[in-house]
Amino acid sequence: MKHPFQIIVADTTGRYLFTTVKNVLLVIDLTSGKLVGQWKDELDNSDFLKKKYEEKFDKENDPKRQKSESGQAKVPKIPTPGPGAPPIYNYIRALRLSSDEKYLFATTDSDKAVVIFTIDHSKDNCLELKKRQPFSKRPCALSVDEDRLVVADKFGDVYSIAIEDDQVVNEKELTPILGHVSMLSDVAIVSNDKKKFIITGDRDEHIRISNYPKSFVIKNFLFGHHEFVSCLHVPNFDQSLLISGGGDDYLCLWRWYEGQLVAKIELRELIAPFLTDSHLPPERFLTETSPKEISVARILTFTNKKTGLNILVVLCEQTKAVLLFEIDAKLSVRHLQTISYEDNVLDMCYIEATNTLISAHDSDKNQLFQQQKFDEETNNFTPTTETMDAVAELNPIDVNSRNDFLPLYYINTLRKRSEH
Amino acid sequence: MDWSVHFPKFIPPPSSAITTDSASATATRRVEFADIGCGFGGLLTALAPQFPDTLMLGMEIRMSVTAYVDARIKALRQIQGLLPSVDGGEMSQVVREAVKEAAGAEGEDPLPAEAGVSAEDVAEDRREEAENRRATREKVPGEFQNVSVIRANAMKHLPNFFEKGQLTKIFFLFPDPHFKRSKHKARIITTTLLAEYAYVLRPGGILYTVTDVKDLHDWMMHHLSLHPSFEYIPTETLLDAGDPVLKSAMTSTEEGMKVERNKGSKWAGCFRRKEDPPMQESVLEAGVKKTRVVRRA
Ligand SMILES: C[S@@+](CC[C@H](N)C(=O)[O-])C[C@H]1O[C@@H](n2cnc3c(N)ncnc32)[C@H](O)[C@@H]1O
Repeated sequence: MKHPFQIIVADTTGRYLFTTVKNVLLVIDLTSGKLVGQWKDELDNSDFLKKKYEEKFDKENDPKRQKSESGQAKVPKIPTPGPGAPPIYNYIRALRLSSDEKYLFATTDSDKAVVIFTIDHSKDNCLELKKRQPFSKRPCALSVDEDRLVVADKFGDVYSIAIEDDQVVNEKELTPILGHVSMLSDVAIVSNDKKKFIITGDRDEHIRISNYPKSFVIKNFLFGHHEFVSCLHVPNFDQSLLISGGGDDYLCLWRWYEGQLVAKIELRELIAPFLTDSHLPPERFLTETSPKEISVARILTFTNKKTGLNILVVLCEQTKAVLLFEIDAKLSVRHLQTISYEDNVLDMCYIEATNTLISAHDSDKNQLFQQQKFDEETNNFTPTTETMDAVAELNPIDVNSRNDFLPLYYINTLRKRSEH
Repeated sequence: MDWSVHFPKFIPPPSSAITTDSASATATRRVEFADIGCGFGGLLTALAPQFPDTLMLGMEIRMSVTAYVDARIKALRQIQGLLPSVDGGEMSQVVREAVKEAAGAEGEDPLPAEAGVSAEDVAEDRREEAENRRATREKVPGEFQNVSVIRANAMKHLPNFFEKGQLTKIFFLFPDPHFKRSKHKARIITTTLLAEYAYVLRPGGILYTVTDVKDLHDWMMHHLSLHPSFEYIPTETLLDAGDPVLKSAMTSTEEGMKVERNKGSKWAGCFRRKEDPPMQESVLEAGVKKTRVVRRA
C-alpha cells in the first residue's frame, strides 16, 4: 500500500499540484497526469545528530577551551538512540508557494531547516533546491512577504530570511523579529492601508498582531480562543478579515485591524456525526464527561465567480468530512453543505480556475486523492466522475501497513492538558 | 475580567444597576501600576498610601504566595475600615479590640509549608509586618482599597489582563535569576517579552528593574538598552528628582529588605517607554545580525 499524501497546494492556474509524502516532495502536472518535479530529503536524523556532535567535538578541541580545562581532548561518542527512545520522524510540516509562484518553500524536521526551491517547468525536474537554511528550533509555519520568507518556530520565535539570497546563514546568527513564549502554529503577513502587519498564532490561545517589519511593536491581541490556535486565514476577497481556528468548537471571524470579533462560527453540531473515539483525549486524561475534541486542520475561502458569494471551507482533523459555509455581505455565516468522504481527509486545496476542491485522504485502498467540483448555481460541491487514482499512483512511498505511516494526526497534540 | 472583585471601592460590579455619573466615572478606572512577580507584596503595601487614587496590581505565579498577599491586603483593608477617621477622635474600646483581632489575623501565616517558602522567609516577613503596623494604628490614604493581587504567569498572560498602553509603571523587582545559561530564556526580561511589556506600558511610562544579582542586572540592562521601545533613565536622575517610587522599589519589597539586612548590593535600571516609530514601507533589515556567512547548500 501507499503512504498517504500529507500536504497539498495548487498553483493559481490549477495545473500543478505540489504535495508531500513522508520526506518526499512531488509536483504533479494535473493536465498530463505526470510527475514533473520531485525532491527527497535525504538527510536522515543520524546525519544530523552526527553533525551536532562533531560541532561539539570541534568546540571541545578549541585551543582556548583546552587551556582552561585539564588538557586532554575528549573524543565524544556519537550516540545512537536506544530502543526506548521516541522515534524522530522526517516530516515536512509546511509547504508554500511564493506569491509569484516562482518559488516553493518547505520545512524539514531532520535538520530543522527551511528549503527553498526555484520552480522551472522547462526542466525535467521542475524543483531545484536553491537553499537549505537551518534554524536552531524546528520551523512550524511559513509566510511570504515580497522577497522575504517569514518562518515561525516551535520555540515561539519568528525569523525573516531573504528568498533570493543563496547564502546560508549560520543559524546562531539569525535574530528573531518577534517572539511568543509558546510554540507558534501559524503566521501571516497582512496589510491595511499600505501598512504591513504580521499575525502570529500560538499554542496558548493567543493571536498577536505586530507591526511589520518593525515587529517589536505589538499592535494588538485578538482574544476569542480558549484553546490552541492552529490556523490563521486571511481571505483573498477581503484582507481586512481573519478567520482563525484551533482547538475550540468554533472558528473566529475577525476584523483584525480593528481587533473586533465579528462572529463565532460553531462547528461542533455540524462535525459531531464525524467524530469518533479517536477524538477523545488520551487515556490518562480521559474522564466520564470528556468531550470528543475538535482540531481545525485547514481553513480555505474562495468566491463564487458567478454570484460573488464568499465561501468558507473548513477541515477538522481526522474526519471524513469538509464543512462548507457562506459568508454574506453583512458577514453573517451560514452552513451550506457538509461534504462527506469514505476516508479521513488529511488536507485540501481549492483551485479557483477550475472550481475544484482537491483533498488528500488516509485511504487503505490507495484512493489518496479525491476531487469535487463547485457548482456556481447551487453553491454545492459534487464529486467528479473521473477519479484521481492514476495520479495517486505517482506516489513513490510504498509501505507494508499503516504501522509504517508517519503519525498523520498531530494537531490535537497541541492541546494543553495539565491545567485542566 | 471582573475588576470590581479586586477594587470594590473603585469599580462597581458589572451587573450593578447604578448608573449615576459618579459610578460610571469610576468604572472606567483601570490598573496603572503592575508589580510582576510581586512576592509577598511589600511594594504594593508601600506604594498604596503614596498613590491612593492609583490602582495597583501584583502578579504572582505561586498560588500560596498569591493567597498570602490577598489575605494581607484584605486584612489591611479590614483594619483600616475599623479605624476612626483622622479627625474622628478616640478609638473606642470595642474598635480597639476588633483592630487587635484583625491585626492578629493579618500576622497569621496562611502559607502552607511549601518548597521555596522557608520558615525563615515567613519569619522575616513577620518582622516586615511589624514595620507595617503603622497601618494598624492610623488611617492611611486610600485604605489599601487601591491594591490587589492576581495569580498569573506574567510571561504568558500579561496582555490578557491589561490593554495596550494601560500601565504607567511596571516593576520587575528581584526577579528569579535563572543562573544557568540554558535557563536564560526563562528570564522574565528577554527581547521578545519586552515587546509585550512595551505593549501594556504607555509611552512615557516607566519600567523599573532592581536586583542583587549583578549578572542578571547586566542581562536586563543589555536587553532593555537594545530594545527600540525603551530608553534608559539614569538612576541618579530619578533619585535626584526625588522619584518616590524608585526608592520604594529598591527597599520596600521583602527581597529588597533581606538584601539590605545582609548588607548586599542592589542594582536598579529604569527605562522609559518610547513612542512607537511611525509605520512606513521600509526596507526590512531584521533577520541577520552579523554578516559572517556559512555556505552549506
Ligand atoms: C525572588 S522573588 C521576588 C519577589 C518580590 N518582587 C520581592 O522583591 O520581594 C521572584 C518572584 O517572582 C515570581 N515569579 C516568577 N516567575 C513569574 C511569572 N512568570 N509570573 C509571575 N510571577 C513570577 C516568583 O514566584 C517569586 O515570588
